[in-house]
Amino acid sequence: MPITRRVFIRNSGLAIVGTAAIPSFLARAAWGSADAGTRTKRLVVIFQRGAADGLNIVVPHAEAQYYAMRPSINIPREAVIDLDGFFGLHPSLAAFQPLWEQRHLAIVHAAGSPDPNRSHFDAQDFMESGTPGVKSTEDGWLNRSLRELPGPAQKSPFEAVAMGPSIPRILSGIEPAVAMNNINDFTVGGRSAKTSPVASAFEAMYDHSSDTVLHSAGEETFDAVKMLKSADPAKYVPAAGVDYPKGHFGDSLGQLAQLVKANLGVQVAFADISGWDHHVNEGATEGQLANVLREFSLSLAAFWKDLGDLGEDTVVVTMSEFGRTAHENGNRGTDHGHANVMFVLGGPVHGGKVYGRWPGLDQSQLYQGRDLALTTDFRQVLGEAVLRHMGNRHLGEVFPGYENQTGKFLGLLG
Amino acid sequence: MRLARTKFGIFILVFGLACVAPQLLAEKNDTKSLNSGDEKRALQALNRLTFGPRPGDLQQVMAMGVDRWINLQLHPERIDDGALNSRLEPLRTLGMSTHELAENFPDPQEIVQVMKGKRAMPSDPALRAIYEVQLARVQARKERKEETEAKAASGSAVATKPGEVSQETMSASAAAAPESVDREPAAAPALSTVEFEELSSLPADQRYQKILAMPPDELIAFAETLRGGKRRDFVEGMSPQERETLIALNNPSAAVDTELAEAKLLRAIYSQRQLEEVMTDFWCNHFNVFIGKGLDHLMLTSYERDVIRPHALGRFEDLLVATAKSPAMLFYLDNWLSIGPNSPQALGAPAHPYQAIGRPARPNQGKRPSGLNENYGRELLELHTLSVNGGYTQRDVTEAAKVFTGWTIDKPAQGGGFKFEPRMHEPGPKIVLGRRIKENGKSEGLELLHRLATSKQTAHFISLKLAERFVSDNPPPALVDRMAKTFLKKKGDIREVLSVLFQSPEFWDDSTYRAKVKTPLEFVVSSIRATGAEVDDAMPLTGRLNGMGMPLYGAQPPTGYSMKADAWVSSSALLNRMNFALALTNGRIRGVRVDWDALIGDQFSDSGQTLSALEKKLVAGGVSEQTHTSIAEQIGTGKDSMPQKVRDGAEPQSVLTTAGLLLGSPEFQKR
Repeated sequence: MPITRRVFIRNSGLAIVGTAAIPSFLARAAWGSADAGTRTKRLVVIFQRGAADGLNIVVPHAEAQYYAMRPSINIPREAVIDLDGFFGLHPSLAAFQPLWEQRHLAIVHAAGSPDPNRSHFDAQDFMESGTPGVKSTEDGWLNRSLRELPGPAQKSPFEAVAMGPSIPRILSGIEPAVAMNNINDFTVGGRSAKTSPVASAFEAMYDHSSDTVLHSAGEETFDAVKMLKSADPAKYVPAAGVDYPKGHFGDSLGQLAQLVKANLGVQVAFADISGWDHHVNEGATEGQLANVLREFSLSLAAFWKDLGDLGEDTVVVTMSEFGRTAHENGNRGTDHGHANVMFVLGGPVHGGKVYGRWPGLDQSQLYQGRDLALTTDFRQVLGEAVLRHMGNRHLGEVFPGYENQTGKFLGLLG
Repeated sequence: MRLARTKFGIFILVFGLACVAPQLLAEKNDTKSLNSGDEKRALQALNRLTFGPRPGDLQQVMAMGVDRWINLQLHPERIDDGALNSRLEPLRTLGMSTHELAENFPDPQEIVQVMKGKRAMPSDPALRAIYEVQLARVQARKERKEETEAKAASGSAVATKPGEVSQETMSASAAAAPESVDREPAAAPALSTVEFEELSSLPADQRYQKILAMPPDELIAFAETLRGGKRRDFVEGMSPQERETLIALNNPSAAVDTELAEAKLLRAIYSQRQLEEVMTDFWCNHFNVFIGKGLDHLMLTSYERDVIRPHALGRFEDLLVATAKSPAMLFYLDNWLSIGPNSPQALGAPAHPYQAIGRPARPNQGKRPSGLNENYGRELLELHTLSVNGGYTQRDVTEAAKVFTGWTIDKPAQGGGFKFEPRMHEPGPKIVLGRRIKENGKSEGLELLHRLATSKQTAHFISLKLAERFVSDNPPPALVDRMAKTFLKKKGDIREVLSVLFQSPEFWDDSTYRAKVKTPLEFVVSSIRATGAEVDDAMPLTGRLNGMGMPLYGAQPPTGYSMKADAWVSSSALLNRMNFALALTNGRIRGVRVDWDALIGDQFSDSGQTLSALEKKLVAGGVSEQTHTSIAEQIGTGKDSMPQKVRDGAEPQSVLTTAGLLLGSPEFQKR
């Protein structure tokens, strides 16, 4: 086991009570201080778990076929928020409209994972591992994206953050990552600014643990707890006029904004929102999909506004494991399909445009005769963000087995 | 809801497993010596077959002999569980049919039926009170909605009709549904403080009668007053049924959901039939049903009681068929709505005088459900039987879905049972996994289930999952193969498969000892068991599990929860566990009490002794030298550092802290 930076505690012979050392990196000034060239670039990945219905989210309202295939759940032309005469947003995405107009929001349609698998579990797994069709991949692409990232040698414990109770597949791997359910509970033995003796005892136990999983999770945890205490994110309340919707997703993004504003060195972050699997009564302009879309868009719009200038260095990408059948099913819902829609939001994004080639909805154009065909591999979109925004040139390691040709990038960024 | 403490509590605490089979213990008690090899063996058995050892369990298992104890656990019917049953007695909903639950704890859908005059107001006074308050609420919500919609009149084209309780209310995306009613802004004024105090001061029976006699307006005001935590004190002294009624006034579904979750924890903590509970939990997770999906919360009580538990150690095929026919699964995976595209119903043949699917058509939505829904067909193959690599195609999924058309629920909103509806069934033969299933109505489904239950892939997949639960995150393939062979040879007899597992050298290999990281449920329950704590109210524990990312019955996707370490080890998870451990030992979890005297006595003169005693009691198998030292340094080991227990007072803080540190230690996270 490598010698850790806390090894001196073990050997010091001092009682640990209340004296757990502040790691040296805490003595440093904050991350990404305004010095030129050292600004922290951030990539935020959002997963819509359950297979969102891309065709009812960014609606091809100029396709007669769309209305024919979805007699009871289509979004009527007059209800769609038109974007470019062909596509339009679901009315519940009204909060995206200003972001689109400011050209901070781009859309990639008919995108996703090329794997034909229609299992939620497997398809999510593939999109998180970044290796569709390969099950043996042990780590997630977002974790791998950090490996060759240019930046400070001493990394922040908040370099990679997952908003939720556990580290998702996408962030698992060798690079340390922190899972955070609730900023306010992210401490042990009391909330005071001082490290409590109890916390020190726990820290020592986990530091010594021979279980490698618990050992490394413990190390990441206590580093993060101390750093969070010193940064005191509680003072970073949402900016004026920012109102996050109630619920897990709004909470996640609100807390993520706090971490970013507290200058904790967040480089990649992950949050998810579930409730997209509408086999029955999906609804049209109102209903189940409309409700979750409202939560989705209001949360993201609030996050964007809350970040203020920090949005300049932030790119948010959304994805979902697969789309849904082009035809509605017998229960006014949709079944598991193929290609989907991705949103890309951020300062450096060339927004206000729907990217990707539209494959059409005629029966002959559908994938396996039932689903929207795929014209953009999700790794192409993510690769562009990892390379152009984060500056990691080693895309072959981030997405092994996929040849990411920079010449074929969509031009979303940079 | 508070539980009456039973007189059995102390009995259980002191005698541990003794009540399992006293006669067996007596035989062996004086002949078995405690060598460390045996102790480790007994601990391994306890760690894997139970939710964690309680004080005294280790000695009991060793006295009985590990193999005999395992054999007994494999035959739960031979184990008396009377003490647990007395604890569960106050939870009346556990014994109710889904129909009774729907009747007594009405969903909004039912209330609307009454509002529209399609159903009569119940005559039972308690039930009437519940319906009246709900009616007033639905009415108020309707008015609010009409108001907002009037304001936004020019809005969208296909708005839902005002006041209609759409199916969305009953369907997914409602993880927080059980509480949602409670959070709504008050629809009516509350009682004044004076009025409420007056009511509170009456004896329990008069208090209750007075409430039932209230006219509707006053009743609604009273219900409003109960919001925000006042109910707990108010129901003191009332009977279980009276309490349930008061919970149901503000949130009918909460009464059912609360008791379901409480029962799950109480069983895990106190049942003597531990392996049966572990397996019930295993199968509930394998055949996951999400409590937040509409009517499923009413169906889960029967699902666990009548579908899962009776088959937990039985034949896999029986279990599979029972889940396939269960209203809970039919509703969760939408099969109850799946209609053959060429079925009489889809083709519009003259209908029966009643609605075939037990639900009024929605006039504003045009056509009625008329097509195939693949949800169940897919998960049946992927998650319940063959596994995702089981060699099926999209075509097999679609054909399997056709096979199960017509497998539906008779009046789901009223808690009806399974029904095969020929009018919904797709005619003609189906070809699944390369074999033809000839047209045969309901029997087609049974034929397919039989094929799946006896397939090699299924045998392997189920064996693998069992080995992951009982052995390690990556169990030895040779073991899984042997289990799968037994599965096939013994026609899916789960008890036989487990016997092979428990007799395998792989199960007893040193590398598997403490190799599994506990899930949050296992961690919480095992810490309660280790401390021998008395649980009066299990609900605060369910809240803790929510915070740890493992709400009971709360896995939304059909995969259920992971049993592997990587899903449960993270910063957030570790902090939650440490904080839970400290809260538990410091008495900061409402409704849960640790009796320190019973656990460690009070004869310790210094903290070193206390630490050693607590290590022995709380962490079966002990802690590492490093953990011991870390705690010792934190609490100090000098004689002066720990005051002797004062006779009348609480336990010294250092005892509580030490115990908390032990339960939060790396060793206690594993089993």
